[in-house]
Parts: sequence; structure tokens; C-alpha cells
Amino acid sequence: MSDVTLYHWEPNANSGKPMLALMEKGVKFESQYLDMLNFDQHKPDYLAVNPQGTIPAMTHGDNVLVESTAIMEYVDEAFPGPSLMPADPRDRLRIRWWMKFMDQWLGPSFSMFGWKYFVGPAARQKGEAELEAAINRIPLPERQIAWRKAVYGLFSDEEMAESGRRIGVGIKMLEAELVKRDWLASDQYSLADINGFNLAYALPLSQPHLSNDELTPNIMRWLRKIYARQAVKDCWALGRTDMVKRVEILEQDYIPPKPESEGIAKGIGDKENLAR
Amino acid sequence: MSAILYYGEPNGASFTVLAALEESRLNIETRYLDLLSGARHRIVGLTDRVALDMGVEGEGPVLVINGEAMTESVFIAQYLDEAGAGHMQPKDAHTHWQMLMWCRRVTERAAPAAAFLGCRSNAHTKLAAISEAAFADLTAHIVSPDLKARWEALRRGDFQQAQEEDSIAKISDLAALCNTQLGDGRDWLIGDYSIADLVTYGWLAGMRGIVPDAFADRSKLAVWFARVEARPSVQRALAHAIAAHPGQHWAPGPEINRWG
Repeated sequence: MSDVTLYHWEPNANSGKPMLALMEKGVKFESQYLDMLNFDQHKPDYLAVNPQGTIPAMTHGDNVLVESTAIMEYVDEAFPGPSLMPADPRDRLRIRWWMKFMDQWLGPSFSMFGWKYFVGPAARQKGEAELEAAINRIPLPERQIAWRKAVYGLFSDEEMAESGRRIGVGIKMLEAELVKRDWLASDQYSLADINGFNLAYALPLSQPHLSNDELTPNIMRWLRKIYARQAVKDCWALGRTDMVKRVEILEQDYIPPKPESEGIAKGIGDKENLAR
Repeated sequence: MSAILYYGEPNGASFTVLAALEESRLNIETRYLDLLSGARHRIVGLTDRVALDMGVEGEGPVLVINGEAMTESVFIAQYLDEAGAGHMQPKDAHTHWQMLMWCRRVTERAAPAAAFLGCRSNAHTKLAAISEAAFADLTAHIVSPDLKARWEALRRGDFQQAQEEDSIAKISDLAALCNTQLGDGRDWLIGDYSIADLVTYGWLAGMRGIVPDAFADRSKLAVWFARVEARPSVQRALAHAIAAHPGQHWAPGPEINRWG
């Protein structure tokens, strides 16, 4: 029996980061799947583990760890197995910079689309009374605000436009960075690649007019190279919904540009088009 | 390897890296930047400015290595520690995670609040006093539209009351958290003296004069401030100041969380 338990949702975004890091390190762990759309993360059993009610969380012996990127750094340091951080301090700085950029600047913009077009509509199926009760159980005030925005579609046009702008800029920056090296931010497969893959693997589905083999060949090369890893296969096998099928687009040898309307813009309520 | 550390007044993010450099015992050239004049965006000789232009931290220090501009003060401090003496981060993985989480708590919640309050108190008047043409020239080299928007809001004096109240609450929350953390008699916030102490001091020290109520009746925190200030490395870092009161010098900092 492993002394590591990971509480996670689908292999995607924040949940996917520590899942894939553990797989890459070869760490055996107990998987505890939480259905985010059923508000499992705000139920007493889980709040007893992580009182903040955020996903993911990991226990290792008596220690409880939260925040996906910080968990990944812990996993890399605490367990034997292939190193997921280079030794060169300059590479480590660059990797940390990219992870923060993705976690705090680019990722929230993807999330805004994902929450507006997927999480909100899915949650609204529960009915207002049940929803309000679920939201009121959320421990962190800022997460209550975020859930209310998502559930009731309160993102303004300006907020969505700014998120769209940032996604466009971020894709160009990612492509430019991947021109420099085989991997993101260093010459070895690292936590930055794990972080980035979880953010970007569905780009050719969600943003087909911005990311494809014509416009972003280096992003596509990078995504396919990561997708080929056994750890990714093992990680995505832990998903329970159709979301896991989205990664299969990376099996296509060539993905041509498609109109914006075939991406997330047409996918209101269509989880197949969720960006994040 | 050619390395230059550009810094502003030893306050906020710049304090963190100057103190980390002193602890690292590395021999790296340092150069002062007047952040509120936009000097950070006019550094010459950069061949790779991705981090400079798109850093989340806003106007902070820049480490240039062989022409590559690198930003984010916590990560620069980690670089200096890992390339140098190596005693500013816990060796144990779990304590290291605690340090990283503490630094994130400070940089993601308190730092945007401190930059907001500091800029409102000290930077707005200076920017409002310069001409439109001079301001346009100052911001001409800022590539990131969201950072540029923060400069423009600062010059306009666009300080929402809700943001002010939220920022004061966040500074007060961090002061209370520090006081509680130190309540068990420990000398330092996380394990031995670490980057967590530098980051916390950098963003909180200047707030003592701006939101004094947040620090009232926080005796453990007051003793900790004095303990940090007694360290020779901190004294050398503070000696980089050009201004008489570096804690009063602020420039547009990290973005306030767009999700609320």
C-alpha cells in the first residue's frame, strides 16, 4: 500500500500536473478521483483532508500538500526517479518563470473560457437551490466569487476579450520559446513541459485558428513528443469522462488550420471543446 | 558568463533579490534602476527580453545573464541561492514546499495589495505631475498591454475603494499570519532563515508607514522585523538605497487577481 494519495479530477490542467509528475517519477500512489462538477471537493470527507477545498491535493504520510505546481516540485525533490528539474540554476529559473507565467497569466485566461462554456453550463443543470448550497460550502471567499461568475455566466465581454487576447499572445510566446529548444525552457524534459502539456494539449481543438501544424509547428511537435510518453498514457487512463478523448487529436500527423468557429466559440455547453 | 542584477530601491521585489545576493556571496555586478521613470524598459544590450516584457511581477528587478533578461524576484533569489552559497532554501522537501507556498502567499495576495497601496500613497503624485508627452515616452517601451494599463491607471489615480479596502485587508491578513506563525517562539518564518523571510520583509516593511493599523499589537512581528534588519546582509542590501526612505518608493507591481 502506497503512503501517497492524490486527490484529483480529470487528467487536465491543475489536476493533471501532479498526476503526470508522479507517473514520470514512477511513484506508486492511490488515486482518489473527485468529481469537480458534483462539488465533491467541497464535501466534508475531502475538506477534512484539504480544508481549502481546492483540487488537487496530495498526502504523503502525515503531510498534506496543495497547489499543483508546488506539489510537482515536492514530488521531484521527495522521490527517487528521473529528475524533472535540470541542475543548472539558470535553467531552473527559466522553468520557474514559465510555470508562473502559465499558472498566473495564461492559464486563468484559458480557464475563463473553460468555465464560461463548460463548467458553468454543466453546473447549472443542478438547479439554483442546490447550486447555492454547494457554492456556500466553498471555504475560500475568492473561490466562491469565481464559482458564482462561472455558474451564472457573469464574465463580462471585456474580461472575455482580455482572456482571448492573452491566449493569442501566449500561444505566440510558446511557439517562439519552442523554436529555441526541444523542450520548454530547458534542454531536458522538465516540470515546465508537464505544466505546459496540461495547459496546451487541447489547443488544436479549442483554438484551431491559432494553433495547428501550419501556424505553430513547434508547439505541435512538442505536444506530440510529450503525448508519446508512456507516463502520459498511464495518466490519461485515470480519467473517467469524455474529456480524456481530447488528447487523441495528437495522434493525427497533420492538423490543418480551421476557422475559429470550429473551436471553443461554437462549443457553448459542449465539453468536447473545453480548452481547460 | 556575464551577469548583471538591475534593481530598484531596496523595497518590495528589489529588496528580496539584493538581500539574496548578499547572502549568496556571489560576485555579480549590480546596477540601480529608477523604476518609476520606466528605466527598466530601456535597458540596453538585451538579446532576449521575453521575461522582461511579460513578467507577472510588474516593475521589479531584472537579472541579465548573457543578454537574457530574467525576472520574478523569488525565482531570481532562488537562482542566486542555488548558484551561490545555497543556505537560503530548506533542504527537506516538505519544508521547501512550505517555503514555496509561503512565498506564493506573499507574492500572489499581499504583493499586489502592497504595490496598489504604495503606488496610491507615493507614486501617483509623481506620475500625475509629468506631461502627457513625457508619460507617453516613459511607457513607449512597455510591450505588455496589461502592465501598460496599470501604469495608465496609476497616473489617472484610478483607485477603486473596493480595491483599497481589499488591499488593506490583505496586508492586515499577512501581518496577522506572520504574527501567528512566529507565535511558537521560532526566529524565522519557515525553518531556518530563508527566502520566505526576505520576500515577506520586502513587501511588508514599507507597509508599516502606509497601513500602520495592520501592524498594531503584532509584537512577534515587530521583533521579527528587528531580527531581519539586524542581519549584516540585510543592512548591506538596504545600503543600496538612493532614497532616504526606500519603503516609500513603489512602481506598478503584480496584477490584482482577475478572478476576484
